[in-house]
Amino acid sequence: MPVSPKQARTLKHRSWVAFLVIPPIVFMSLFVVYPILSAFAYAFYEWRGLARGEFVGLANFKEVLIGPIMGPVVWNAFLHNVYALVALMIIQNGGGFFLAWLLYKEPFGFRFHRVAVFVPVVLSTIIVGFLWKLFLNPNFGIVNQALFTVGLDSLAKPWLGDASTALGALILANAWHFVGFPTLVYLAGMQRIPSEIIEAARLDGTSEWQLLKNVIWPLVAPSTTILFTLLFIGAFNWFEIPYVMVGLDGSPYGTTDVLGLVFYRTAFGNQSASIQNFGQGSALATLLFLFIVVFASMLTLWLRRREIQF
Amino acid sequence: MANVSIRNIRKSFGSVAIIKGVDVDIDDGEFVILVGPSGCGKSTLLRMIAGLEDITDGEIRIGPRVVNDVPPKDRDIAMVFQNYALYPHMTVADNMAFSLKLKGTPQAEKTKRVQDAAASLGLLPLLDRYPRQLSGGQRQRVAMGRAIVRDPQVFLFDEPLSNLDAKLRVQMRAEIKELHQRLKTTTVYVTHDQIEAMTMADKIVVMHDGIVEQIGAPLELYDRPANRFVAGFIGSPAMNFLDGVLTDGGLRLPSGAVLSLDGQPALPAGSKATYGVRPEHLQIVPAGTPGAIPAEVAVVEPTGSDTTVIAKAEGGNLTIVVRDRVALRPGEAVALQPVARQVHLFDERGQRVAGL
Repeated sequence: MPVSPKQARTLKHRSWVAFLVIPPIVFMSLFVVYPILSAFAYAFYEWRGLARGEFVGLANFKEVLIGPIMGPVVWNAFLHNVYALVALMIIQNGGGFFLAWLLYKEPFGFRFHRVAVFVPVVLSTIIVGFLWKLFLNPNFGIVNQALFTVGLDSLAKPWLGDASTALGALILANAWHFVGFPTLVYLAGMQRIPSEIIEAARLDGTSEWQLLKNVIWPLVAPSTTILFTLLFIGAFNWFEIPYVMVGLDGSPYGTTDVLGLVFYRTAFGNQSASIQNFGQGSALATLLFLFIVVFASMLTLWLRRREIQF
Repeated sequence: MANVSIRNIRKSFGSVAIIKGVDVDIDDGEFVILVGPSGCGKSTLLRMIAGLEDITDGEIRIGPRVVNDVPPKDRDIAMVFQNYALYPHMTVADNMAFSLKLKGTPQAEKTKRVQDAAASLGLLPLLDRYPRQLSGGQRQRVAMGRAIVRDPQVFLFDEPLSNLDAKLRVQMRAEIKELHQRLKTTTVYVTHDQIEAMTMADKIVVMHDGIVEQIGAPLELYDRPANRFVAGFIGSPAMNFLDGVLTDGGLRLPSGAVLSLDGQPALPAGSKATYGVRPEHLQIVPAGTPGAIPAEVAVVEPTGSDTTVIAKAEGGNLTIVVRDRVALRPGEAVALQPVARQVHLFDERGQRVAGL
């Protein structure tokens, strides 16, 4: 049957679309979808090292959630992730909001500060973790040295070795590392507000605080939702900073243990105890993945409803 | 309500002078319009009255009080912006009540004032809506409502109708004027549209390049413009200008034609001068009429109520507005006869020549 010019054009167009779409689909399937599905499948088997054993159904999930050995460790780590989320929401995102407000007011040298506040974000997390480990070193770290210098010797402590301060120190290091990101997002949000709205608010009689609370904050609130979503994902995937600064065991005494470390230890083992349980590790990874996907999707849907038109 | 006094106001951004010494007196309850082309400094002057721009030099008083260093919120003024500047996250009612909320006004009074203002502007059915759910005209009305609720001493309007379509602009123009007649609050209104200025103002301040060119009632500016700039800016279509040399009893054009003048100009014969005549003060007469300007019809624009004719004459195009319907065709030879007693004369520096 002869092909009409229109049909030929359609065929050409479809071939072009296929040429563009198929390679990324194959790539994603091989390197993203397949590993996720594999991990999901691994979780239903017993593993001996890297050798797959019997199908065990939901036993691995049960052990991870309520098992006598894994259960307490996982929930302890989960609690630390929640602490990190709450603390980072306040320190990192809240701090970012106030830094953005300061930069928005264009103080002296604001161009320099705008860059300076973002520089740590582009540093490698490994470098930041190592840097802060040095800063917090009980003997020669600059934090304790500074306290000694101003005569506050009593406040100096082994920050990463003390159970009461270790998690806080990790959270602060993470906040220092990433605070530039929410700052930039909030600053962009603030700069999007038409200047007349700010002027109208000033004429209406707002104080600086009222302007921030009643006008600026509600108008940049949609940025908060996306930042919260990203922070939520980041907080429950938290791994690099704790790993570099306190090691795989979440020392001291598991006070800095987070789900990322538990997963790594369970799936791949650690130096001190070469116990490795691929099935439980996969079960934990799957649960974590589902938890993050469900909450992040809900947050995203919520975000879309709150967008503001100027 | 209060009078506003602006004394020798100057404004510079770095080394660039935007406003170069402006004096304006605005009486209590007066509707004053600052008009001028883009970049003339009219909006900057308004923003200085509002306190949104620092004053480089000079003095602004609202009532008896010098407000140079008084923050905007303490000046007892309300401003309506060109792009409405409504709070997008608040309902119409909340937008209007915001200033009262900040002042801690009791709920009952707050509600009453918002309801009264909304009723006067036809906003009652819209009180629960958000700005994004309103049309441009409704948004502008809410912005006005927000200003009215505050019951300020002075209303400031910064090109409030520029974002509206032509029909709505005419409607809102009448509404703002009616509002002023009802409230009698001192109003300073900025526009670049001289029709708005002519139709709404008690007094017009024509600004150009950072200075005041003329202050006066609309018809005073129209009938007796102080200089060539005002003459060309006020009136639509704009005044026609013809350059020539003064002779005894008239103005000689380069071609040798002499246009008659009604009166004795205070300028010696032989001086260069510009003859100004408004489009409605040029009559179309048969070609060859003595004392008339020979011309050729270029464009005929009937608007229904009147007809605008653009004709080619020596020194450029001349615009004529006639009330009657005319049967002219492009290319037709005509002559244009100025109404001598309605003619304006400007000297070489563009200043009005007395004596006409």
